[in-house]
Amino acid sequence: MSSPPATPSAIEVTDLVKEYRGSDGSLVRAVDHLSLTVAAGEIVGLLGANGAGKTTTLRIIATLLRPTAGHARVCGFDSQADPVGVRRSLGYVSATTGVPDRLTARELLTSFGRLNGLTDAEVSSRVAWLIDTLALTSYADRPAGRLSSGQRQRISLARALVHDPPALVLDEPTNALDVVGSRSLLDTLEHLRENGHALLLSTHRLHEIEHRCNRFVIIDAGRVVAAGTRSELVGPTGDLESAFFRAVAGGISA
Amino acid sequence: MTDANQLAVDASEREGPSPPGHWLASAWAVAAFQLDRLMTRPRLAMALVGALFPPAVMFAAIRTAPLDRNMAVVMIYALIPEALCVLGLLVTMCPVVADELERGTWIHVAIRPGGRRSLLLGTFAAAVLWTSSVAVTGLLLTLFIAQLTQPIGLAAMFIALIVLSCIGRAALFALPAVILPKRALIASVGVAFLVEYMAGFLPAVVNQVTVSLRLRSLLVEWMGWRQQLPVEMMLFVDMYPASIQIIAVVILVMVLLTVACFILNRRQFPPSAEN
Repeated sequence: MSSPPATPSAIEVTDLVKEYRGSDGSLVRAVDHLSLTVAAGEIVGLLGANGAGKTTTLRIIATLLRPTAGHARVCGFDSQADPVGVRRSLGYVSATTGVPDRLTARELLTSFGRLNGLTDAEVSSRVAWLIDTLALTSYADRPAGRLSSGQRQRISLARALVHDPPALVLDEPTNALDVVGSRSLLDTLEHLRENGHALLLSTHRLHEIEHRCNRFVIIDAGRVVAAGTRSELVGPTGDLESAFFRAVAGGISA
Repeated sequence: MTDANQLAVDASEREGPSPPGHWLASAWAVAAFQLDRLMTRPRLAMALVGALFPPAVMFAAIRTAPLDRNMAVVMIYALIPEALCVLGLLVTMCPVVADELERGTWIHVAIRPGGRRSLLLGTFAAAVLWTSSVAVTGLLLTLFIAQLTQPIGLAAMFIALIVLSCIGRAALFALPAVILPKRALIASVGVAFLVEYMAGFLPAVVNQVTVSLRLRSLLVEWMGWRQQLPVEMMLFVDMYPASIQIIAVVILVMVLLTVACFILNRRQFPPSAEN
């Protein structure tokens, strides 16, 4: 197992390429020489249309897919050379929460704490801390099948944090949420940033994250077409959505 | 706020393998989770039907014509360690990956250190426990109805055969479950038919790697039938002692599970696979 080098970025993607074999046998390039970084204490928004390669990129970072070329590193651990190091350092939240209806939040978190190899004492203190910090107390012992989408997504976030990872990737976490649930979740993400977590957040709901992310990376057909802070992308006037459309149309250079 | 140096320190603490026993605890966490999933009303109803099927057949057989002890034992063997165990494991072991993909839980399990291995081994344990429980319940009811002599000895023998059948077949079905998750049920039925019930009866080297040969051989030995076996039936059993048969099943299970874990660790599922 390799030693993690000291790295300024919690998440570092370098020249990433991912090709799939299509159903007709042709080669489809989902990610095309994509590079990005996320530092500790930073939220980076990964923006792109459907099929732009956002989910594939996040899943390569999370060791769920292997890249065709390039590297993804989390806290210095390479996703291919040391996937276990990456998995210990990373939490993953997806649009589909995958929270079983029959389990309560407490049961689910306990189960995933054990799955992460925590001892019983570590599991109980960590679960109690998450329930308190993420404000799950009022429904922590209710089966998830009786909870709202927002509550289930908060449980999913707690599950991603159960092993105390310094980095998080979130794949459209607010997709199924109403305004209240979405704002509450994004407030929590900002709180995590303040505590030094590195967050890479993919979403289609640009207005929700426009003023919450430190930087944005806009991708189209697997390539980075624009990257920078809001003010760098948007300029003194305008909004992120207009900047997004300009970037996708080729108007802004990365 | 965490700075980069702090992050590197945190990262170095995340190195190294899990302490011994942690992966067993992880697998047990999955097993408990899977057993909870099996406690739904439809699954419990299925278990009840499964457990009542062998005694119902035995009852019907006894009412039709008197059965001698040996014939009753063969019938119990065919109904429980063979048919019921295989059916139970098809339901519980085959969807090990497909269920997670469908429910959107695969990524949350696969991203954990050792998560894929724990998923496979935990589901294996849950499938064996659930199927064995159903089969033992069916066995006890069947023995009660059959009213055979020396029922405790027969029960002990059949419980051993049930456990070996369950661990052997669950490991066997793990392979199609990880190679063809979306068609695992059909593939496992094919494997059961081709490997266990065709290759298993071929008097050739290939039958040495089947569970059915080991179970039949154990039945013949434990029932003391070896001396009375017609010459042509000798081709369908192995003449090594029971301990060798049990060791052969355990080795087969370890090899199959190791291969299945290796394949599952290498599997990549594109996002579209979860739809």
